[in-house]
Amino acid sequence: MDQQKYQEIEQQITPPTPYLKNVAKAFLVGGIICTIGHAITYFYIIFFDFTETTVGNPTAATVILIAMLLTGLGLYRKIGQFGGAGSAVPVSGFSNAVVSAAIEHRTEGYVLGVGGNMFKLAGSVILFGVASAFVVSLMKLILVTMGVIEW
Amino acid sequence: MGFVLFVSLVLVGCNDEKTIEVNEMNETDASEVKGIIENYKDIYGGRAIFVDDQLLVAVQSKPWLDYRKTKLEKKLKNELEERFPNYDVTVSADFKLYFEAEKLLDEEDEEKVAKKVEKLKKLKEEET
Repeated sequence: MDQQKYQEIEQQITPPTPYLKNVAKAFLVGGIICTIGHAITYFYIIFFDFTETTVGNPTAATVILIAMLLTGLGLYRKIGQFGGAGSAVPVSGFSNAVVSAAIEHRTEGYVLGVGGNMFKLAGSVILFGVASAFVVSLMKLILVTMGVIEW
Repeated sequence: MGFVLFVSLVLVGCNDEKTIEVNEMNETDASEVKGIIENYKDIYGGRAIFVDDQLLVAVQSKPWLDYRKTKLEKKLKNELEERFPNYDVTVSADFKLYFEAEKLLDEEDEEKVAKKVEKLKKLKEEET
């Protein structure tokens, strides 16, 4: 059997990926996570002295904490299986990536295991986040200097 | 069942009623502020607090205009400052200020209101 023929057979046998279904699930799960986040936002605005500009930090911290607990209890894996990207894109997915890596490597010791592997996946998020933030703020600085927009 | 809920929520969200409330100090000022805010199509709710020489105006704009909030604030502030040169005008489209202003509308103790307005002005300045 040559390679081409193998690929043809493989194509026939593989079930088609349910793209639409996956997208709908991701939309639903991501939407629910963000709705919870928004509820936390309003909780902090109403009961504490936070404004819409300052409320972002405590909200992100709370969502991260909740996702951390869910990861430790093994519940976030189930959400991830169902929701796919919907559970990975919000900040809770970042928290899940950090904590699950730490749990996975804890048998290798605290320094080389947990410490060395914690940011295996999250490290790239931080790197590209910082790099793109730099580029975006540079663009904004140029636009402000040119007088197109204001700070 | 879910569809009915969805439709009714959408319809509730679409009602175009404007609520503008002012704590009464004197009638002309109150109606004037109301008139100015009324002119802004994008604002669906406004609360104005007069106390001493302070005028605090908290508004809520339609959610998809979030990125234009600062522009809206500036425009409204300029207009209010022109009409009320004797007042120190503060305009905000922040939900926090809008929420707190509701409590101040019925507050009788003027000293308390002045203190609270001062605190809200400080809150507004915070960035992180």
